[in-house]
Amino acid sequence: MSKVTNIIVVETSSVLYEGLVQVISHAGMPLHIRQAGNIDDAEKFICAKPESLVIVNPAIIQHNVKSFQSLKNNWDKAHWMALVYLHYDQQVLGLFDGIISISDSPGTIISTIKKVLSSKHSQNTYISEDILSEREVEVLQLLAVGLSNKEIADKLSISINTVITHRKNISQKTGIKTVSGLTIYAVVNKYITLESVKPMV
Amino acid sequence: MSSSNLYITQDTELSDIVRAYPGSMLFLEHFDIHVPFQTKTVDKICSEHNISSDLFIAFANLYLGKDSYQIPKLRFSDLPAIIRYLHNNHKYYLDEIYPKIQQCIKLIMGLNDLDESKLVEKFFQDYFNEVREHLNYENSVVFPFVTGLYDVFINKIPYRQRNAYSVSEYKDHHSDIEEKLDDLMSLLIKYLPHKNDQQARRELFHLLVELDYDLKVHARIEDLILVPLVEKLEKQLNAKP
Repeated sequence: MSKVTNIIVVETSSVLYEGLVQVISHAGMPLHIRQAGNIDDAEKFICAKPESLVIVNPAIIQHNVKSFQSLKNNWDKAHWMALVYLHYDQQVLGLFDGIISISDSPGTIISTIKKVLSSKHSQNTYISEDILSEREVEVLQLLAVGLSNKEIADKLSISINTVITHRKNISQKTGIKTVSGLTIYAVVNKYITLESVKPMV
Repeated sequence: MSSSNLYITQDTELSDIVRAYPGSMLFLEHFDIHVPFQTKTVDKICSEHNISSDLFIAFANLYLGKDSYQIPKLRFSDLPAIIRYLHNNHKYYLDEIYPKIQQCIKLIMGLNDLDESKLVEKFFQDYFNEVREHLNYENSVVFPFVTGLYDVFINKIPYRQRNAYSVSEYKDHHSDIEEKLDDLMSLLIKYLPHKNDQQARRELFHLLVELDYDLKVHARIEDLILVPLVEKLEKQLNAKP
């Protein structure tokens, strides 16, 4: 039994809304579709069903990208799609997980929606490779939050020479030589949080 | 670039060089040489632009990565053209390619609302500041020093070594800049997660490759051509009573 997919369409035009409902009701899956006239109304619906698919007319958010981004962050289980009938900046369209155009065929629209629903957020699918040893990870973590070789040596009770050897190996394995480059590597691979770097930013 | 094998002489037409090595268009711009070239040869364009054809061919071969090429003996009179080239080259970094890269990074990081976005932008900003400092140092210290030295030579002004500065001091200034650029490329190709920005990433990658290539040639021109020539001039001026 597949569960009901909750769809929220943020679009002021009833013609477009009704048309879209017509098209996606043929998707062959249980759907619950509702219309929201603005982002605030949409949020109320998302609040009730955090895993919703939210289809947004970019015109409604394009002048308020910041608050749309924070909405996305607050509701990270939702899927976000754009419904476009004009040309938009790549920067605006890039905020969405998928894009449907009103000129798309019904088949294309449905398959785009299914693709978005089945994909996890790519941010979570980035898998680190574990190319570093446990000790190297420890050295990297301390290095990335700004400790010197001497401080790292004291903290891990090893000699400075050993720290230097670890650093050489880390750079060789990752291909990254500078401390600020390694810091980014450590954040990407979730060895440290952004907050632990923040004092330096 | 090295897949082509055009041997450049004084009689080679410029259009043939650019056809064989499309990257050389940028190199020519650094010499203030622009399209359309008509049917001009190396010799013709050089005399129009006050460049010796030896110098032109030496730079061209360095730029096209012809490692087997032996750099000919250049003359002190080539110095003004060398400085002009390096000046233009700096302008290209500061006014053109770095701002382009910066814009591209901003776009990509805007598309990807990731933790590390701020760090990547800051990484590039720090790197760019460092480059700018280095280029400003060359523009305001090294190049005027060379030009002044050449003035002394050409106008036969009695030479007293002023403020003990010597061109030898500024060798090895480039390694750190290259290391950071290399890290940026590694991060981009190997680690930074991406979303709907494949096109912008490819663009950024091409820009970084272009910059990396040009910077390496720039450093080689300074280290293999400018510094030895100026050292020779310093020696000659110091030897004269």
